[in-house]
Amino acid sequence: MNWTLFLILVLVVVLFYVVSTYNFFVSSKARIKASIQEIGNQLKRQAELIPNLISSAKGYLKHEKGIFDKLTDARKTISRAIESGDIQKMSDAGGKLSSLLPDLKVVVESNPEIKGAEVVDNLMNELRDTSDKVMYARRLLIDLSADYNVKRATFPSNLIASIFGFEEMQGLKTPEGKIEVKESEMETPKVDL
Amino acid sequence: MKNIYEVKSKNIFKSFVVISLFFLFSSVVIYVITNALGTYWGYEPGGFGYMGVALIFSGFSTLISYYFSDRIVLSISNASPANRKEHFNFYTSVENLCLSQGLPMPKLYVISDSAPNAFATGRNYEHSVICATTGLLDKLNRTELEGVLAHEITHIKNYDMLLMSVVSVMVGTIALLGDWLLRASWFGRRGSSDDDNNQMGSLIMIFGLVFALLAPIVSQLIQLAISRRREFMADAGSVEITRQPQGLISALQKLEMDREPLEAANKATAHLYIVNPFKGGVKGAVGWFAGLFNTHPPIEERIKALKEME
Repeated sequence: MNWTLFLILVLVVVLFYVVSTYNFFVSSKARIKASIQEIGNQLKRQAELIPNLISSAKGYLKHEKGIFDKLTDARKTISRAIESGDIQKMSDAGGKLSSLLPDLKVVVESNPEIKGAEVVDNLMNELRDTSDKVMYARRLLIDLSADYNVKRATFPSNLIASIFGFEEMQGLKTPEGKIEVKESEMETPKVDL
Repeated sequence: MKNIYEVKSKNIFKSFVVISLFFLFSSVVIYVITNALGTYWGYEPGGFGYMGVALIFSGFSTLISYYFSDRIVLSISNASPANRKEHFNFYTSVENLCLSQGLPMPKLYVISDSAPNAFATGRNYEHSVICATTGLLDKLNRTELEGVLAHEITHIKNYDMLLMSVVSVMVGTIALLGDWLLRASWFGRRGSSDDDNNQMGSLIMIFGLVFALLAPIVSQLIQLAISRRREFMADAGSVEITRQPQGLISALQKLEMDREPLEAANKATAHLYIVNPFKGGVKGAVGWFAGLFNTHPPIEERIKALKEME
């Protein structure tokens, strides 16, 4: 009598665990999918923001054609990445705009007349914000995939993952599980204070 | 150097221990005191009825302040909604941090007070509120601000508001029960006059009185310990979100240098702020004892914990 009660209790606990773990995997997958869309979403926002920024700051930075060329170039890369739908490309494109910030800073520092102009401040703020947004959108994808993969690999949830065949999530795609670091990324970043 | 995930799981474990200790302590105290009350009134096992009454009394006000916490903030002097244009860094930083956590955007408010501080409240994700003072927004740069805001967002994410509400209901219940027993015993014992287990009854009474005297203080001390533990957790959570301990460290250093107390704060909301809004404090041996009564761990200790994560 007591034994059957005990067995039923154990079964209920196990069943509860299996169901909640299964639901974790399924909902994580959905959230990972949504977070990939979020990256695309933020990049789209970036691409739409750039023309606005250019038109508003044009009057102040008319001698700095280089900046605008780079902005337009970044926009093209972003649009192309969104069209391709490849996460890796999208994530690379997001970094392009933030690399513009140091250039812009140099320009602002060397031109006392535009330093402190509200429009230019706005431009820099928006640039930093939009590249932060892409960075944080990527962080969400990375974190979610990491949680998912940790749960998938650790005992006892790995049993449930293998029973239901949950495959490993790629996160930001890294072939053969390695992160490629380009030559340019190894350089010490320049900081001007 | 410690891995952020190690810090996180250690924090969760410590927090779990303190909270379970609190609930264990509460149940023992409530059991003993209600039993004593029951003995005093003459019917031995019926004490739990008092627990219900005390729970209702202490729970009512806390429940209201918990449920309407996001609206009560509006009644705080000078809290006005933040907008993207005027408070660009504040607004967009929260936007970005919530994006990274997959949380809905909280409502943002600004208090015009030059004392730099910030707090989060709200009963759930949909009704969460983050409030910052103008002093904070003026004195911190974007990286430091992100550290502080990520700390607040961690409070929201961990449902600290709910936890602290439950804990303060329990503390209130214990205080009420203790108070009733002390008042009741003041008039001397009436109830059961001549039964066999008189000795047992007086033993229960003695235990009850001791608990009634000490438990309210002890439960408050544990409540404060929980509050401090949650601060450490929020600090670690902030680093987990921003991956930049330096931002929060330098923000805390700036906040520590500022000795101005915040006018809008009161005791009930003190645990919500990034740093203790009342400032002041003593150091050394007296400081250790005084530290037991603080809602926040000392800033040096928080910075030390953060530096280990760098």
